[in-house]
Amino acid sequence: MALTGRLGLLALLTAVIPLFAPTWWTLFIVWGVLLLGVLADLALAGNVRALRFHRSGDTNVRLGGTAGVTLIVENLGRRRLKARLRDVWPPSAGATPRTVRVDVPAGERRRVEMTLTPTRRGDRKAVTVVVRSVGPLGLAARQLSRAAPWTVRALPAFPSRRHLPAKLARLRELTGAHVALIRGQGTEFDSLREYVDGDDVRSIDWRATARRNDIVVRTWRPERDRRIYLVLDTGRTSAGRVGDIPRLDCSMDAAMLLGALASRAGDRVDLLAYDRRVRARVEGASRTDLLPAMVHAMAPLEPELIECDAAGMVSTLMARVRQRCLVVLLTELNTAAIEEGLLPLLPQLTARHLVMIAAVSDPRVGEMAAARGDLASVYDAAAAERARAERRRLTAELRGHGVEVVDAPPDEIAPALADAYLSLKAAGRL
Amino acid sequence: MVTQTSPPGGAQTAPAAEPSARQVAERRWRSARGVVAVLLVMVVVAVILAALRPATSPLALDPTSPKQDGGRALAELLRQRGTEVTVARNTEAVFTADPGSLVLVTRTERLTDRDLSRLSAWQVDLLLVRPTSFALAELAPQVRRREPVYGNADPGCSLEAATRAGTVAFRQSDTYEATGSATRCYQSDSGDSRVVQVQNGSNTVTVLGSAEPLTNGRLTEEGNAALALNLAAGTGASIVWLVPDLPESGSGAGQQSLGDLLPFGVKLFFLELLVAVILVALWRARRLGPVVAEALPVVVRSAETVEGRARLYRAGHARDRASDALRSGARERLVPLLGLPRGRAQDPTAAQEIVTAVARRTAYDETYVGAALYGPEPVDDAGLIALSDVLDDLERQVRES
Repeated sequence: MALTGRLGLLALLTAVIPLFAPTWWTLFIVWGVLLLGVLADLALAGNVRALRFHRSGDTNVRLGGTAGVTLIVENLGRRRLKARLRDVWPPSAGATPRTVRVDVPAGERRRVEMTLTPTRRGDRKAVTVVVRSVGPLGLAARQLSRAAPWTVRALPAFPSRRHLPAKLARLRELTGAHVALIRGQGTEFDSLREYVDGDDVRSIDWRATARRNDIVVRTWRPERDRRIYLVLDTGRTSAGRVGDIPRLDCSMDAAMLLGALASRAGDRVDLLAYDRRVRARVEGASRTDLLPAMVHAMAPLEPELIECDAAGMVSTLMARVRQRCLVVLLTELNTAAIEEGLLPLLPQLTARHLVMIAAVSDPRVGEMAAARGDLASVYDAAAAERARAERRRLTAELRGHGVEVVDAPPDEIAPALADAYLSLKAAGRL
Repeated sequence: MVTQTSPPGGAQTAPAAEPSARQVAERRWRSARGVVAVLLVMVVVAVILAALRPATSPLALDPTSPKQDGGRALAELLRQRGTEVTVARNTEAVFTADPGSLVLVTRTERLTDRDLSRLSAWQVDLLLVRPTSFALAELAPQVRRREPVYGNADPGCSLEAATRAGTVAFRQSDTYEATGSATRCYQSDSGDSRVVQVQNGSNTVTVLGSAEPLTNGRLTEEGNAALALNLAAGTGASIVWLVPDLPESGSGAGQQSLGDLLPFGVKLFFLELLVAVILVALWRARRLGPVVAEALPVVVRSAETVEGRARLYRAGHARDRASDALRSGARERLVPLLGLPRGRAQDPTAAQEIVTAVARRTAYDETYVGAALYGPEPVDDAGLIALSDVLDDLERQVRES
């Protein structure tokens, strides 16, 4: 039940009546009339209990996009329902309109179209549907809130998608499948074929040429069917904002570009998100399913404000993967976290796998290092130089363990990681 | 304090810079200035109105007061002319006076209901000076007060006191309208009178609309003195000048509470108003659906630790650490430019080699370069700023050489 402003206004207006007829009876009569009006409204308002809600529409939307969700209101009651309806969503779901007026005749259905523009990644669940059915006099209303479950998942935006064509072109050059006649730069023997003008003479296979009358060249291709294990660190260091984006989101973007590229290159890509336990995992996805699977696995991930358990992460990895693979760890080059957590375990990991660490650096540190002018700026610059020196030292130490380190600002980390992967592939180190 | 600005188009352009205290203050002032202006205008208007209102001092028309608005001159004149003037500070003193006296009643706003009813029952002649409408209704019921007027006036009536006085300077004066037989003098343009004399039973009640003709300051103007003396001393040998003191609390007035004074209908009105307010509150209190709480992502800036360390350096005047960091950073950038292996940058044994190489490619000698790259810590903050500039200069020269 709910009262309306009209009732309050009516009470306000009738307040002058006792001034002209100053008896208690006047007041009682006024109250009685108002009460009767309220009761009549409650009795005659459309029955909100006889409503049924059904939903349909989008369940996924890329962050920044708009999803449409339809709410169907079915009136099973015997009276027409004229009501104000609010489909309640969390604020970050960006649901519009806030309230709608619905007019559903008895036994019929009406559609309410909602548009959702999520402002953050993750699952957005519909909270409830509230209907307020005002009576014919407009003095009181029947109100009911009823669950109508629906979930819209806001997927990561993948802004580095624009780099994919360029990286794929480089990949085709590597494999020799490029339109230009360039010898595939691989290390894996592919096949023999007849020599054509323009082929590199160094690739002539003399033994095969001797067996036949034609000159035969060997073709090479980069290794295929290698395993790449992407590991997202969702611990406290991933919560730090670079610009206005959490470091985790930059890492995800880079992981998606690398995943898309590697799956096209014929490698198998797996994903693990870990802080103190496994937050998300994608394993054994086929080439075509990989990107959707990754996107769905990563969508609900949020940075956890706990220290990442490097030992747990390494043991999980070692247990899951027996064969040699490229482990790409997307984390932050935080001296304390890396030195105490990961560094002692690195030999164990590098003994079996090739390890690459990708870290998002903060351009703000660079700006601070370049600051000059007054005392505060110089101290800023000194602190920034100190931070950079520590980062350099850590990078050098990691490289000393045979780890590849990619350290780039947020808008360059995805292409830089893809380039690092391509050069590893070209060098045949996978 | 971070004073530097981010470069345009850089990834660091903060979407909504935190407003400074000054901006916040400006915004608050902008939103509040309308209200402040209205309040100021109200205060100014109130002050002007208060200043325009004629002020009555506590001793106005007091027969002992020698001030401009006092009545001492009139009292002295009356005494000189043989009229006995008795000063009464309360109504009790009036009732003990000669029965044949004239009672000059001033400051009627200080008389309580009881005073007024007893005064009207007492068989004496009254001269009311600018009475309140309340006192007028009690003491001269046939006279009703009208709008005040301003200026001098001629008698225009048969009252002897008035005709002998001629023109009188009333300045601001109340006017009266009387029903029945009454003597009406000093009429205004609209026909209302400044002085009215009526018979109340056997007593004469004279109502004077202005206190000005009686005051020390105005007694000499026009026919004021004549009017005052004639009205006051015209009938008897003695007058009682009633200047009531403020009534004591509880003496007749103010015994009723607000509730007693309010009509019943008004009480019901307020009760219904209360009900209306409760209904409006209930209307506003019922939301259309719940407030949805949502876990918000944590906002930690990645460079926060670096900024924190900069502030610590500054607070602790850590020039040694700051200069070390700046020098090693500069060496780190210089060494690849000089074509030396990167590892040499932080190697103390390679110091001479680096200094020589830098001095060769810049306009400075080795001592200067050595002091800049490996020297002691700056002695003061100005030295630290200078050091940062020197290092920048070295780096630029090497880069351009």
